[in-house]
Order: sequence, then structure tokens, then C-alpha cells
Amino acid sequence: MQPAPSPRRPGELVFAAIVLVFAVCAFWQSYGISGFSGKTTAGVFPMLASGVMVLSGVVILISAARKPASSGGFWPQILPLPHLVLIGLVCAYTALMPLLGFLVSSALFLFCTFQFLWRKNPFLTLALTALVLGSVYVLFRQVFQVVLPEGTLLQGLF
Amino acid sequence: MLEALGYFAIAWGDPWLIFLTAAGTLAGIYVGAIPGLSVTMATSILISFTFKWDVNEALALIAGVYFGGVYGGSRTAILLNIPGAPSAIATAIEGYPMAKRGEAGEAIGLTTVMSVFGGFIGILALALFAPLISDFAILFQSRDYLLLGVIGILLVGTLSGESFAKGAFAGALGVLIGMVGLDPMTAEGRFTFGTISLMGGIPYVAAMIGFFGVAEALVQLHTLNTPAIKQKIDKIIPKLSDVKQYFWGAMRASGIGTIIGALPGTGGDIAALLAYDDAKRSTKNPEIPFGQGNKEGLIAPEAANNAAIGGAHIPMLTLGIPGDAVTAVIIGALFIHGLKPGPLLIVETPHLFWFIVGSLTLANIFLLVFGLTGIRIFTKIVECPKAVLLPLIIVLSAVGTYAIQNNPIDIYWMLLFGVVGYFMKIYGFEVAPVILGVILGPMMDSNYRRAMISARQDVGNFLWAMVSNPISLVLTVALVLMLVSQTPLWPKLRRMRPTKKQ
Repeated sequence: MQPAPSPRRPGELVFAAIVLVFAVCAFWQSYGISGFSGKTTAGVFPMLASGVMVLSGVVILISAARKPASSGGFWPQILPLPHLVLIGLVCAYTALMPLLGFLVSSALFLFCTFQFLWRKNPFLTLALTALVLGSVYVLFRQVFQVVLPEGTLLQGLF
Repeated sequence: MLEALGYFAIAWGDPWLIFLTAAGTLAGIYVGAIPGLSVTMATSILISFTFKWDVNEALALIAGVYFGGVYGGSRTAILLNIPGAPSAIATAIEGYPMAKRGEAGEAIGLTTVMSVFGGFIGILALALFAPLISDFAILFQSRDYLLLGVIGILLVGTLSGESFAKGAFAGALGVLIGMVGLDPMTAEGRFTFGTISLMGGIPYVAAMIGFFGVAEALVQLHTLNTPAIKQKIDKIIPKLSDVKQYFWGAMRASGIGTIIGALPGTGGDIAALLAYDDAKRSTKNPEIPFGQGNKEGLIAPEAANNAAIGGAHIPMLTLGIPGDAVTAVIIGALFIHGLKPGPLLIVETPHLFWFIVGSLTLANIFLLVFGLTGIRIFTKIVECPKAVLLPLIIVLSAVGTYAIQNNPIDIYWMLLFGVVGYFMKIYGFEVAPVILGVILGPMMDSNYRRAMISARQDVGNFLWAMVSNPISLVLTVALVLMLVSQTPLWPKLRRMRPTKKQ
């Protein structure tokens, strides 16, 4: 006999449903490209791919529904506070980068995340930030000659 | 032949290229060893920095990182019982018990030497068989490429993921991401929603870095506070008698590794596990039981995963189909440099092929040097806390994504793929098929359409062509077998067989 199925992860059923809805939307969009007007039109292969997504999405949803219900909550197990904070910080970082430029936004981001995850003396965090950012800057800007984003707000300064 | 040797030697003659290969190998060992950093992550970030470089320089660096990274995972597996990479899971099973007995130095020395042996076998296979396969690959038609693409994506999806449906979904999602933008044949917009920025498609480097870098960092956040255990290291150079004793075992594992690596879609991870399993079954009367620090079991996965590197290059350089996730990224790098991996690569640009063979060989030699030295500093560096590592991964991911087109929008893509990839990983979806899909999707699309046109737009003709030509027939049978073995029909068929015999 098959081994007993592992319990569902918190939120797995919702995720499976989202996956299926996304797949159906993707199929509908693919159909919109050129419909069933020909066998070699631009829309055929996207329809095949999204068709596979719809089929496998149905299977994923059914097998998730069959598993015994999950124990534990969605937030503590899948998206606990550190994840939410980190995702929030990354969002802020990517949003600020075009404004403040690479150096300033990265310095802020590194300092905040180090402080949040590492929980050491702020001066130590500051020193670590400077060290890490300095090495990244020297390696990529000076050695690899990579163009780094320059902020629109602080243009010319950094 | 002499010409080939000349091209092979390019990598060996230029001090700058030698330096890059060495630097790549050394960096790769650390990247592979630090849990949370993966070779795939490093190569995908690297190609965005090196796309302006000369092709040879970029390839030399990537060859080093690839070799060093695949090997590096074994060190943390032995010293800390944390496989630095999935391909070192089996290594940890045997290596860590050896370290607990105080034999960490011996274990590292032996795995280094055997990894290098494995690496050479893989490279030898690449040098010998790739030109043959390439001659043969010219006979491949559009439909065969379509079949190979589907097989490659499904193989990754089925062998590494939680379920076949999730693997298929991930692969199809990748194909769909690859479709976004203007259709290369008719210039019609696909999924562009009327915006200009989507017409150029979704940058696949952003997808790679998002899925392999940001998503992985978020997953690693769950294990932020895993403590590291310190180790003492003494003699590293393995005894000659040991090398002799385990040589044939390593050769056998290398053979397995090369073949598994050469199958489209399967790489070092699967090769290592299969070789370990094979060593376990073929070793009669082991001196030390498996799971308690058996040396046969220690060297088999390491020889195999390094042999798989050469193996994985074979389908990439002859068919344009990546052998594993890292070669999928390298194919992306070759495209960026304007090269077209496929059956004509060896014919049209033999210098490139032999250069790759040359720099892989060189990287393998550097691996021997760096593998047997510098272990004391090494243990210090890998104990770097994840709290410091994870923010750094995100900054590097952002730099890497931006560098490719200098477009801030790419960073938002990276972030989106990172968050989506995190949820996919958490719910048991593999992200490697997505990347394979993104890379192979456009190729499969155009080959499907070419095959359909040559079948005069007739589905019957199209399907008949799939079984009426020997190459297509073999591929079709392989695909059908793969599909059938994953459906509920298969257990039923297997149950029917014994009843027939009765």
C-alpha cells in the first residue's frame, strides 16, 4: 500500500487554488492571442503550455484537497515575522534604489537587515555594512566595471 | 586534431585566463561550500557581470566556478554535516561520521582526489563523444528538438520535485514566461497587455536570479539560527594505498555521473544519489557499514557529481539543450555572447568547444590544488552567520539583475520571481524546471511550428512523423514511457503483469 500522505502545509490549498486560477487566466490570455485560427499561429504554443498548467493545476488542487488538513497556522509557519520584515525591506530597497541610487539604498538596506537579523551593537552593524558595501562596490564598480543605479534624487553626489 | 589541441591550449597559454580560471575555482569552492549559496545562484549572478567581457574570459571564470562549486559542497557536508549543495547530500551521510571520528582531513583529501578523477572522466567523455554526437545531431529535425525539450523539462520536474504534476506545472510556467514578448515569427505581441516594456520579453536573468537567489534566501531564513560545529583538521593528502584501493569505485561512479549528467535535464544532484546507491549495492562486505563513514560511499557521490559536469556539457554543446540547471544558465550566457549552442557549434566554432574543454580541464587541476590546501581559513569563512549572508545575497542579486540591461524594472521582476519562487519552494514545487522552461520555451515553440509546417499543417502527418523516423521514434517512446510511468495507469499495468503469468 501507499504510505500515509503527509499533511497539507498551511495555506497549501489556497496556493493550489491560486495556481489553478492563474493557469486558467493564462490559458484565456493565450487563447486571446490568435484563438484556434491555425495550427502554427503565435498563440498555439502558449495555449499548449497554459493547457498543461491548467491540467496539472487541477491535479495539484485535487491532491492537495485529499491530504489531511494542516496543523499550524499560515503566518507562523509559512510567512513568519522575519519573512514579512525581510520582504518589506527588499520592497523598500528596490523602490528606493531608482531614487537614492545604489550606494545609499544598499547602505540603508544592509544596515536595517543586518540589525534586524543579526541583533548586534549598532556600531558593529554599521562597521559591517561599510565593509560589505565597500567590498561590493570595489569588486563590481571598479574591478568588473558594472554600471550601478544612480539615484535621480541624489544625482551627481554618488 | 592539431587544430583542436591548439584551441585547447588557448586556456592554458594566457596568464589572464589561467588567473580567471583559478580565481573562479577558488571562489566556487567557497560558494559551493557556504550553505545558502549555490553554484546555480553564483553562475546566474556571474553571467550578468561578465556579459561585456570577452567570451573566453567569461567562460574561463564560469568553468572554474562550476567545478569549484560542485566540489565545495562536499566540504561543509563533511565538516558540518550541512551539504553546501544538494549534490553533496550523500557525501554528508558518510563524510560527517568520519569527521566525528576525527578523520575529517582524510575524508576531505580523499574526496578531493576522487572528485578530480571524476572531473577528468567527465571531461574526457565530453572531448570524445561531443563531436560524435554533434555529427549525429545534424540529423535531428525540428520535431526531435521539440521532443528533447519536453523530455528535458519533464525529467527535471519528475526526478527532483515532489510530484509529477508540480514538475509539469513548473516547466509549463517557465515556457509561458519565455513566450512573453513579440513572437519571433510573426511579431505579434504575446502577453504584452499593450505595454511596450513587455514587448522585449521578461529578462531571463531576472527570472534566474529571482528564483535561485532571492527565493533561496527567503527559504534559508527559516534556518537562520542553525548552529555550526567546529572541527579540527590535520593531514589532508590521502594515502596512496587508499587512492589505489578506491580507484575503481571512483571510476564506476564517474561513469554513472557522466551518463546521468549527459541526459538532458539531470545533473550532479541526481548523479550523486544514484552513484551512492550503486556503491551501496555493489560493495560486498564493507569495512565500515554504510552510513557510519564508509569510504566507498563517501567517494562515489563526489566522483559522480564532478563527472556530471563534463557530461552536462555534452547535450548543451551538441544539441543546445542544457544538461542541468547550471548549464541552463551557461546556455543563457552563450546566447548573450551571441553564440548559438546546437549541432553546428562544434562545426562552426570549434575553437569555442575546445576552449571550453581546455578551461574545464584547467579548472579541474586547480581544484586539486585548492582542494588540498587552505582548509584552516576555509572553516573560518564558512562559519559566516546567515544573518550576514542573506542580506548580501539580496544586494548581489539586485546588482546582478540591474547590470544586464541597466533597467530598474528588471529588479522588480527579480523581486516578483523571488517571492513567487519562495512560495513555490515552500509548497513543494521545484524551480529548476521553470528556468529550463524559460530557456527552452522559445526554442520549442519555433521547432513545433517548423515541424507542423513541414507536416503541411496536418496533425495526422505531424504525429506520424513522430513515429516514422528512427530518431523521433526513440524520443517519442522515451517521452511516452515517462508520461505513462507517472500516471495512475502504471501501477495498474504492473499489477496486471504477474496475474498474466499465473
